[in-house]
Amino acid sequence: MASSSTGEGSSGGGGGSSTPMSQSQIGQRMWEMANNMESVNSADEIYQYDCKQQQDILQAKPWEKDPHFFRQIKISALALLKMVMHARSGGTLEVMGLMLGKVDGPTMIVMDSFALPVEGTETRVNAQAQAYEYMTAYVEAAKQVGRQENVIGWYHSHPGYGCWLSGIDVSTQMLNQNYQEPFVAIVIDPIRTISSGKVNIGAFRTYPKGYKPPDEGPSEYQTIPLNKIEDFGVHCKQYYSLDISYFKSSLDKKLLDSLWNKYWVNTLSSSSLITNAEYMTRQILDLSDKLENSENALGRAGLFGLDPQEKKTEDKLSRVTRDSSKTTMEALHGLMAQVVKDRLFNQIPQAQQSQGQDHSQSTSQAQA
Amino acid sequence: MGVVCLERRPCWNSDSEEFEALSEFYYFVTIVGLRIIYCCCGTCGLFCLSEKKEGRGVIKIIIIRIESSLRHTLSASGEKPFIDQDTMLSMEVDEDIGSEATPSSSSTQAVASTPPAAVPESSCHASTPAMPIAAPTSPHPPPTQSSAPGGAGETSETLSSGGGESVMAAAGTVGSISVSLHPLVILNISEHWTRQRAQEGKPVQVLGALIGKQTGRHVEIMNSFELSFDELDGHIIINREYYTLKEEQYKQVFSDMDLLGWYTTGDTPGPPDLLVHKQICDLLESPIFLKLNPMARHTDLPVSIYESVLDLVKGSATMLLVELQYTIATEEAERIGVDHVARMSSHDTQESSLVAENLQAQYSAIKMLASRVRLIAEYVRASQRSEVEFNHEILRQINALAHRLPVLSNDKFHGEFYNQCNDVALMSYLGTITKCCNTMNRFINRFNLLHERLAMGRRMRGLFF
Repeated sequence: MASSSTGEGSSGGGGGSSTPMSQSQIGQRMWEMANNMESVNSADEIYQYDCKQQQDILQAKPWEKDPHFFRQIKISALALLKMVMHARSGGTLEVMGLMLGKVDGPTMIVMDSFALPVEGTETRVNAQAQAYEYMTAYVEAAKQVGRQENVIGWYHSHPGYGCWLSGIDVSTQMLNQNYQEPFVAIVIDPIRTISSGKVNIGAFRTYPKGYKPPDEGPSEYQTIPLNKIEDFGVHCKQYYSLDISYFKSSLDKKLLDSLWNKYWVNTLSSSSLITNAEYMTRQILDLSDKLENSENALGRAGLFGLDPQEKKTEDKLSRVTRDSSKTTMEALHGLMAQVVKDRLFNQIPQAQQSQGQDHSQSTSQAQA
Repeated sequence: MGVVCLERRPCWNSDSEEFEALSEFYYFVTIVGLRIIYCCCGTCGLFCLSEKKEGRGVIKIIIIRIESSLRHTLSASGEKPFIDQDTMLSMEVDEDIGSEATPSSSSTQAVASTPPAAVPESSCHASTPAMPIAAPTSPHPPPTQSSAPGGAGETSETLSSGGGESVMAAAGTVGSISVSLHPLVILNISEHWTRQRAQEGKPVQVLGALIGKQTGRHVEIMNSFELSFDELDGHIIINREYYTLKEEQYKQVFSDMDLLGWYTTGDTPGPPDLLVHKQICDLLESPIFLKLNPMARHTDLPVSIYESVLDLVKGSATMLLVELQYTIATEEAERIGVDHVARMSSHDTQESSLVAENLQAQYSAIKMLASRVRLIAEYVRASQRSEVEFNHEILRQINALAHRLPVLSNDKFHGEFYNQCNDVALMSYLGTITKCCNTMNRFINRFNLLHERLAMGRRMRGLFF
């Protein structure tokens, strides 16, 4: 992201320092500088793959000394879109795939991703073994067309229950981090992506066994369905999440801008209340279960009235409250979109009538 | 003079615009003297009249529908089928056929007259119902070319515009399939191009395959992958083995997607593209060709999609390209992803308000809508002031658009809308109650705690003092 802004900055500077030229010439110069057709734009340098540099890094292995070495991850626009679409295409089944990329200091860079022909990572621990053949064939084929990056991680989806690593995921990732370093695990939730309107994604690396992580402070809270809470709680201290940022090439930027010219219609016409109806119902069901749980706990606490017990029930009820607020807000957002559409397209008649009168007056004046 | 049954081939139905194999065989007959080949399906009675030009391999097909009774009458009457020039002209067929149908002198051919080989001879049988000659005046590509399903429905200006290097079909030609394109494909191609450019140091042309789903006349391009190719004498040859390897791979993951066509980068299409297109035609009938121009200077999406048709250009069959209209396919998750990557640069400023974040996308979309409406209003005003030429077509469309508002305004809609509002209001009510309960619970707990502590403190003091 920083590199793309420097590209724009240089174009602005170039335009300012020109001698008196015609407007069109200035425009042309600025355009060319912005697009930098002769040399590779600084924003696109990330697409260069320096074999030697990568091999040096692989030799040095700076991550062995520091379990917390990698702190950030950069995901390309293409990889993100591919992963989201693949996760979405799985529906309510978990899907899985691998990512290609490279390493740059404490930042991991994901350039591309591809899907693996396996289903349901939660139940089959040996899914990776089966996909190994596909993976080698794919990477081999990719090298033939100029994609020289190596596999840098794996991703899978948690449809509807948030971005975190389950017990099986943690053990898989620990195995990977032993043998295939550098490796990262990414989790995507396509259903929550759609319901909240923001991409729901998380990137994680596990700590090696026995490592005591320094206290990091509370991570971002996410609602987790009742049946998965235990799995989450047991393992949540065994991994940490990386900061995710995204990057795109200059051509991507241009194409996305022009794509917006056609896409805005879809943005306006999407109705999330209808798309998310099923998910919302499930959430409410889950909320009711959690409320029942907390009610029971509250009842017990009432008898004893002990401090630590209260703290626990408090937490339960507060968590339920937070979850319910989140669901409510998403519903409200959906309704806002509907109301906006209604105002835009249905509330015209009064204005039109008065305008119609104006028009008829003006045309009669024009004719007169 | 007579008819001869030569071979059996599937016959064609001209009811739909596509050629479909209707029945198993037709009788392929020739009438000597005119070098006219016509065929009739033994079961459906459909006639195809075609003129084969020797040595060119192009067959113009004119379809004539004939009543089966006529057929029987003719065969029963024992008359030998015969078409002479006058009959031809009176059949209201394409004039080209009539003028080119020259009676030749050679007469003897095998004479086995088969029952269905009747001739629509209007002069002989005035009483028989006139055959509705469903004769599209446009020549169709020959049925043996399997691009026929894609090629139906063209208009008849077939000669290419100008000569020389142009590979586009004439401006009036209309494509026959509707295409929807996923943004993922666009980003795929862009990344491929950027990567190659970054590694080679200069822009290079990239090539790849498009996969997706096709249902009937609608094609949905969903994904793409790179293809490996070699350059021999400036011609691009596609590496087949690489393709089969990749096909195997993607079939494992996307089992319901098929190869739809290919893509490349560059400006307007030219003859080298046609060469590659022909190679792809070996893998797939009627492939789609997508061209993305990374150096485009306009703000429109520089993506064009073409399909190929076979046409007569100066007498020889050549492949020409017809531009297709396409729509951008939408899927909710994809839209959110595209939105996210498109606007990620503005995420430097952290919005603390969730509402503002959510409404950002809506706001941008409405801004676009407003700018478009303003444009239309400006146009109308300019037309009124006679600054712009008065175009009735456009103004009519604008009028139609304006009259469509309000979009939905009947009672049923209002009922449902208010229902939805009430549902959401109910949900937020529940949420607020839960929050309330939580706050109350915590308050009471702390109050009790305080009270108990105080009470215990007093008791303790009471014990000691």
